[in-house]
Amino acid sequence: MKIGTPKEVMKGEARVAMTPDSARQLQKLGYDCIIESGAGDAAGYSDETYKEAGVEVVKTAAALWKAADVVAKVRPPTEAEIKKSREGQLLISFFYPAQNEKLMQQAADKGASVIAMDMVPRISRAQKMDALSSMANIAGYRAVIEAGNNFGRFFTGQVTAAGKVPPAKVLVVGAGVAGLAAIGTSTSLGAITYAFDVRPEVAEQVESMGAEFVFLDFEEEQQDGAATGGYASVSSPEFAAAQLAKFRELAPEMDIVITTALIPNREAPELWTKDMVESMKPGSVIVDLAAEKGGNCKMTVMDEKIVTDNGVTIIGYTDFPSRMATQSSNLYATNIRHMMTDLTPEKDGQVVHNMEDDVIRGATIAHEKAVTFPPPPPKVQAIAAKPKEKVKELTPEEKKQQELDAFKAQTKQQVTLLAVGGALVLGAGLVAPASFMQHFIVFVLAVFVGFQVIWGVAHSLHTPLMAITNAISSIIILGALMQIGSGSYLVILLAALSVFMAGVNIFGGFLVTRRMLAMFQKS
Amino acid sequence: MEFGFTTAAYVVAAVLFILALGGLSGQESAKRAVWYGIVGMALAVAATLVGPGSGYWLLSIILIAGGGVIGYQLATRVQMTQMPELVAAMHSLVGLAAVFVGFIAHIELGRVMAMDDSAKKALEGFAALLAKKDSVEIAILRVELFLGVFIGAVTFTGSVIAYGKLAGKVDTSAKKLPGGHILNAGAAALSVLCLIWYFNTGGVFPLILMTAAALFIGYHLIMGIGGADMPVVVSMLNSYSGWAAAAIGFSLGNDLLIVVGALVGSSGAILSYIMCKAMNRSFISVILGGFGGPAGEQMAVEGEQVAIDADGVATALDEADSVIIIPGYGMAVAQAQQNVAELTRRLRAKGKEVRFAIHPVAGRLPGHMNVLLAEAKVPYDIVLEMDEINDDFPDTDVAIVIGSNDIVNPAAQDDPNSPIAGMPVLECWKAKQVFVSKRGQGTGYSGIENPLFFKENTRMFYGDAKKSLEDLLTRIT
Repeated sequence: MKIGTPKEVMKGEARVAMTPDSARQLQKLGYDCIIESGAGDAAGYSDETYKEAGVEVVKTAAALWKAADVVAKVRPPTEAEIKKSREGQLLISFFYPAQNEKLMQQAADKGASVIAMDMVPRISRAQKMDALSSMANIAGYRAVIEAGNNFGRFFTGQVTAAGKVPPAKVLVVGAGVAGLAAIGTSTSLGAITYAFDVRPEVAEQVESMGAEFVFLDFEEEQQDGAATGGYASVSSPEFAAAQLAKFRELAPEMDIVITTALIPNREAPELWTKDMVESMKPGSVIVDLAAEKGGNCKMTVMDEKIVTDNGVTIIGYTDFPSRMATQSSNLYATNIRHMMTDLTPEKDGQVVHNMEDDVIRGATIAHEKAVTFPPPPPKVQAIAAKPKEKVKELTPEEKKQQELDAFKAQTKQQVTLLAVGGALVLGAGLVAPASFMQHFIVFVLAVFVGFQVIWGVAHSLHTPLMAITNAISSIIILGALMQIGSGSYLVILLAALSVFMAGVNIFGGFLVTRRMLAMFQKS
Repeated sequence: MEFGFTTAAYVVAAVLFILALGGLSGQESAKRAVWYGIVGMALAVAATLVGPGSGYWLLSIILIAGGGVIGYQLATRVQMTQMPELVAAMHSLVGLAAVFVGFIAHIELGRVMAMDDSAKKALEGFAALLAKKDSVEIAILRVELFLGVFIGAVTFTGSVIAYGKLAGKVDTSAKKLPGGHILNAGAAALSVLCLIWYFNTGGVFPLILMTAAALFIGYHLIMGIGGADMPVVVSMLNSYSGWAAAAIGFSLGNDLLIVVGALVGSSGAILSYIMCKAMNRSFISVILGGFGGPAGEQMAVEGEQVAIDADGVATALDEADSVIIIPGYGMAVAQAQQNVAELTRRLRAKGKEVRFAIHPVAGRLPGHMNVLLAEAKVPYDIVLEMDEINDDFPDTDVAIVIGSNDIVNPAAQDDPNSPIAGMPVLECWKAKQVFVSKRGQGTGYSGIENPLFFKENTRMFYGDAKKSLEDLLTRIT
């Protein structure tokens, strides 16, 4: 089968869905690659580089649409392009099906299958084809660069002979992929970076990138991001109000604001209101990455840079990835290639459109003359973020109660032990003669003292402890010494042997202990 | 001399012994404490020699001196890595001495009992002490000396086997005769029967029979315990030798023997308890030997072991700021402690933080690793216990595992079906990088696969620990 990539029709779109590198990989999957002449020019890939990679270059878009079994492109197809498609053809591109329902219906009527790269579900397995993330990453980076371009000061604070330069303060709203990329870029340029997101669980990620997370004084059960595929969802009006109040408080301090808040298949929420823009210092820059969906700031003009009356620059470009066409083409082409790998399980150049597969099913919006959007929820839960089990804060009373319980249990245990021990001793005292009891009391006390003393011995001195206890356990020599003087030769012999062995032990044990202890040295 | 003087000397000696043990709470005070012990012992022996009941002064002193020469030789020649063997061998001497003393008591008792009253009055020494006893006291005496002989005999053979295992002269794996614990139980039951028999008749035959049974129990019990459980075994035998002394003390009516025996006994018991807790196993299961079968399917280990050469380790160490070294029995076997110490010195000279993490059951003796490192002149304040250092691994750049296996096995935490599940382990895998110095790809003593070796941040530094470290040292200046 043939995979073809036409030149992007949309004006200003510099990306291309196939690069010479990705073409080589696609050929390994058994596909023939074709490309429209000049498709890669804007991204820095000439027709010659494609030819070197074994890609057939065709002159016109019409010829390409005719020849290709699979058409991979970046932007959603136009109506004219849909008309060029045919039954059984597979189209892969961004599509935004929620906004382009008519187009989707047309494609379905035509009989072409459509895989929307923006509909790839967010599960671990599909990360390699998550084009939204790879584009968002670029957008986040570029947003900071673009802001820096329009911002008249350094990002990093400096103290120079010519005066002190305060560091720029950057606020990133929405810590998704684009937001995190922006945070990373901004902190590495040296700005003081703040970040906000409605999902408090990303605070850790934000802080790991070196930014400060802006917490709201608002108590509400936040919906778990994992349930909505890792994306933010609509928040309650109260929460939105608290959020705006916080932004209003921050606005006058911020030099650069980058808003990236998007909710899937919805208009972008308004987060940066007119009065906030007005309260900002002249020369400040706002980059609205949500401009395509109406903007997080309502003053944003899509695809344009405007300067407000109070000198705040608002950038509403929607083509950040396109502005770094080589980089973004590389990443996008790789995403497409991974998608093709999943579609070609046998590596034989034949597409197997497996609608049972979570990833393929989720991304397919038209198949076999029917619209297949929206997809059923994925079988695999997105991002396995288990809700953290909250450790209950104990109130002082509960703590006291616990301590009391522990104390009571301990007392009970000790008392039981003492009672049993005492009863045993008393029992023994009833039958045993006084002489035995005298020794017995000595014994019990010695065991007691032993237990008390030994618990204090340092772990590192356990070997010396064994050696010294070994030495003093040869106190048995006393027994032998007492006996050696009385009785028969057998007794003398046995006793002599005992004395001898104990002697070995005493000297050996003490000397070895001393040797060991002498080795322990402080640094 | 007066009996009262001896008693007074005993009291002083007992106090000195308690101070000797208590002094071991710190490295510096321990150096003083050992002198308390020595003085206490000298006092006790001297007091006994001059006190009532002893004779053959010259013989005794010659014998003690002779024993002392041998003891001196042993103590100065022993390698620190052989410490466990030495301790085990010494326990066996105490055990045997206890058996002999018990038998003497029996012989003397028989002789004294056979005498008439007038003859009894003429007796002196130990026999005079026996002569004063009434019939109940004699019955109790029999039980006491019986117990002393029993514990002494178990300690004797047990220590001999433990010595053999530690010295590599006996196969270290857990072995049992056919019949297993039933044999032990049988021998124990036989001993109880002998006790009743002896209690009633006072004949020498049940005593000998019981001694044979006890010797067998000691042998068979320790044969059934594997090499890695040796710390528990050695401390347990230590405890036994104390109880044997205490039992003999009862039969001889000597309070100092009782006090010291009880001190040693409880010390050994506590050590055993600490060791068992460190392995998350009950004392019973250690004594019954071996690891039980796995409770269920063990987690399959994924990934592969990635080897690394000395250059790679040297580079990583060069870049690291903090290093934790985890030594195990393998380091002792390879005699690598000097090289480890040298490595530590060089890394510390470069301003890196180097510390040691010691698991309570690392090695074959409680505190074994501390002694080895001390011998190699590693300062003790960078040698830390498990509880002190376990939380620091996430902030550590490099963890080096030298010859340990089970004590760094993450399966203890992750895999509820693992035979060592629940055992506290050193969480070295939380360090940024882990190097494992190991002879080959085999499993540890317990035969459990160690998932640590398969982790992404783990690199295997194969080879004899000593040679590997020498290699490494040539690359680190």
